[in-house]
Amino acid sequence: MISLNDFLIVGAVLFCIGLYMIVSKHNAIQILIGIELMLNAAILNLVAFGKYDRLNNGGQLFALFAIVLAAATTAVALAIILNVYRQYKTIDPGKIDQLKD
Amino acid sequence: MSLAQILFYVMGFIALASALFVAGTKNLVRCIFMFFITLFALAGLYVLALADFVAITQIVIYVGGILVLILFAFMLSGKETLNAMAQQRSKFISISKLPALLLAGLFLIVLLNVLFKVDADNLLWIKKSIRTNNEILPDAEMTQNIGINLMTKYLLPFEAISILLMIALIGAAHLSRKETRA
Amino acid sequence: MRLYEKRRLKKLNEFLNAIDTLTIHFTLAAVLLPLLAFIINFSNPGKNNKVAGWASTIAILISCVLSAFVFAKVWNSHQVHQQQLWFTIGDTKIYAGILLNNLSVLMLLLVSVIALPVHIYSTAYMKNDENFNRYFAYLSFFCFSMLALVVVDSLVLFYAFWELVGFSSYLLIGFWFTRDKAVQANKKAFIMNRIGDIGLLTAIIILFAQYHTFDIIQLFADKGLITQSVIKNGIWMAPSGQLPAIWQYIACGGIFLGVAAKSAQFPLHTWLPDAMEGPTSVSALIHAATMVAAGVFLLGRVYPLFNGAELTVLACIGCFTAFMAATIALTQNDLKRILAYSTISQLGYMVMAMGIGAYASSLFHLVTHAFFKALLFLVAGIVIHQMAHIKADNGLEIDPQNIQHMGGLRKKLPFTFVLALIGGFALIGLPLTSGYLSKDSILIQSFEWSDGKSGILKLIPIIALLTTWLTAFYVTRLIVKVFFGELRVLQIKPGIELHISDGGWQYKLPLVLLAVGCLFALFSFNPLLYEDAWLFKGLSITNGLERENIYHTLIPASVNILSLLVMYAAYIIYVKRKANVFPQSGFLFRLSANGWYFDEIYNRTIVKPILALSNAAFWFDRTIIDGIINLLVKTGLVLSKLSAWIDQYIIDGFLNLLVAIVETIGNFARKFQGGKVQYYLFSMLAIILAIFILLILDARF
Repeated sequence: MISLNDFLIVGAVLFCIGLYMIVSKHNAIQILIGIELMLNAAILNLVAFGKYDRLNNGGQLFALFAIVLAAATTAVALAIILNVYRQYKTIDPGKIDQLKD
Repeated sequence: MSLAQILFYVMGFIALASALFVAGTKNLVRCIFMFFITLFALAGLYVLALADFVAITQIVIYVGGILVLILFAFMLSGKETLNAMAQQRSKFISISKLPALLLAGLFLIVLLNVLFKVDADNLLWIKKSIRTNNEILPDAEMTQNIGINLMTKYLLPFEAISILLMIALIGAAHLSRKETRA
Repeated sequence: MRLYEKRRLKKLNEFLNAIDTLTIHFTLAAVLLPLLAFIINFSNPGKNNKVAGWASTIAILISCVLSAFVFAKVWNSHQVHQQQLWFTIGDTKIYAGILLNNLSVLMLLLVSVIALPVHIYSTAYMKNDENFNRYFAYLSFFCFSMLALVVVDSLVLFYAFWELVGFSSYLLIGFWFTRDKAVQANKKAFIMNRIGDIGLLTAIIILFAQYHTFDIIQLFADKGLITQSVIKNGIWMAPSGQLPAIWQYIACGGIFLGVAAKSAQFPLHTWLPDAMEGPTSVSALIHAATMVAAGVFLLGRVYPLFNGAELTVLACIGCFTAFMAATIALTQNDLKRILAYSTISQLGYMVMAMGIGAYASSLFHLVTHAFFKALLFLVAGIVIHQMAHIKADNGLEIDPQNIQHMGGLRKKLPFTFVLALIGGFALIGLPLTSGYLSKDSILIQSFEWSDGKSGILKLIPIIALLTTWLTAFYVTRLIVKVFFGELRVLQIKPGIELHISDGGWQYKLPLVLLAVGCLFALFSFNPLLYEDAWLFKGLSITNGLERENIYHTLIPASVNILSLLVMYAAYIIYVKRKANVFPQSGFLFRLSANGWYFDEIYNRTIVKPILALSNAAFWFDRTIIDGIINLLVKTGLVLSKLSAWIDQYIIDGFLNLLVAIVETIGNFARKFQGGKVQYYLFSMLAIILAIFILLILDARF
């Protein structure tokens, strides 16, 4: 059987990759994808632990909620990115460093 | 080594490899498509974790919804965005990524350390749940379980989530309309 | 003794003491007056005023008068000696004082009497020279040194004035120092004199080491310390101690070296012909009559020091010098050089006479030689002066001193001619002159001395005789070539005007004064017998020679007859040109004409090596010592450059490095506040990570 540890390890690695992408990418959409990766890693964790709670089934249900929230987040984030692009003509977060326009 | 484990390693490998590719590439299009593959692999992993409904939901919402949204947002946003994204620096290994790499690496080490300390398989509540037959077995029907739990125990989060979705929808729609300069 | 006799004796002593003190005072005045003249002339910077000449002349005149007084007082009576303590070193007391015995007062009178005509002559001879004052200053200085030399009583003072005399000679030889030959001549004279001085100093020091006194009376008197010491078995024993006998030989050698240098004996004789570069009046005073006689005077003072063998050596060297110089004088053509070589020859006679024990004869010859040689030099001066007039008037290119251009001057300069004849006869030693008395006394005594000797020593009187005839020959040649015949300048350039004459009283009076001393009358009432001369009687040490032997008549007769024959022969050869028997080339002629090649020998063996040594030392100093210093300089430069480089690159570089580090850290840290979202996120995550790591590592807060 697949042990719990293996799922957790995969989740940890995915989380760190997502973290790397957030900190180091120069493209807002790639940062968004990094956030998605981190969310996915968290959901994997939830699902892995949820296997041991059949009655309440908290793990899987919260995984569902997380997926929904991720979708909402992404939609709003994309709208913001579009606005930022219209304003600054670039989506490199390193170049958007002034508050005033 | 049962088939499930082999499958798990394959799925795990695909997920991690494609995630690495996503992290490493500079080309946005390739990034998005590899993310596509990562999401599918993750869905497979969910199945192996005996969460089949979650897996289907993942594919439907993430892949079919979010990814397509990103793709459309990227593709339809005009030539300037496309050009700006297509022109990336060509170096693969550059020293400016080092702090991020270091950070990520250290985080990974910390997490793994905690993992091994915790030794999840031997946690008391897990053992207890195994003993008290709380574990989800491979032949269980999860959909019914999820449905019942959603409407009884988790009704409040359900309703909250729906309101949130509505707010997000309105917000996103408002944010992304074209500004009419009047 | 009765009381009144005692009192009279005491009064007599007091009277005598008073006279002695007066004598000493006169002596001091006679010595110091020329010094005063020197100071006056030297500090007078004006050019060529007659005051200088008259100051010196009056000073020497008064000295002469005072010397005459002192001479009359001391000659043949008791000697006068006064001394004072000069300084003390440790236990040794050095005295300074005046000693007047026969020898001292004779020399005192001689020097001042010769110096007086020379001074008068010089006032006219040097009147056109622009360094008139300096000339008389130096001349007075010389007179002071020489007069002091003859009266001092201690060897230390003797040495001091000996050196001063040599120094005055140096100054006067190089008087016309703009002439290169004069400068070389005075250097040569001074260096050779210095060699003699070393010898004399060594001798004085050895004598002091043996006898612990410098006093001349204590050492050399009749019953003095030296006559009390003997040499036995190789030890020189004296009343005050003893030394190995070698020191006595060295002392005598040292004395001889001093004599050889000062009196131009072989081997240190080559400076005297070159010293003729000075003015002729200087040559007359210094290099004929007085300074060169100082060597013989030294011999007279220290005579008891020599023992038999050393005296024999002295005689041999004197004889050889006399012969050699006479042979050289035969072929010389420069008027003054002939006279210089003649001086060397006559000095050789004097030294030889000292060697054979004829102490009185030697000093007698010294006195007579002073007169006739000074006279001949002054005559030469007049002749040269007139030849220079001829040269200047007619623009000729002749050497005024060359006798080959002269001739027939007796018609133009009759007075000079007569006096030259007197001087010449005295030099040859013909009867009725004073030279005859002194020279024949030496010859006779040389024959008597060689009676008791054997072997080669029997040759010495023969060689002396030969030298006498050679002297006759070259003197006649000189006089004939200058005064007889026709003026050979006319053969070069016929038809020139000759405006020459004898000169004024300043030229004639000195000649006359000196000529008086050339005749017998001054010295002896008997023109033929030297033993009657008062000078001889006053100076002779009892050497117990028999008065009557065959030599006393044979020698004078033969010598003089043959001299007359030689003179006639020379006259015929040089005037009538009847016979020219002497080849003008050939080995003997060249040997004689080049001074027996002594100058070349000295030049090659001594002068050149010393110059090479000095060049080597110069090279050493220049390349090696300066090279070392340059090396140090370069090292210093290199070190300084190195330290500059270190300062610039290392020290400043270190500072620059610090600055760069700070800059980098600043730039780095600045990024975290730059407004970039990802950096904010990064720093946040880094802190969280740090907390986690610390928690994991179980750190206690």
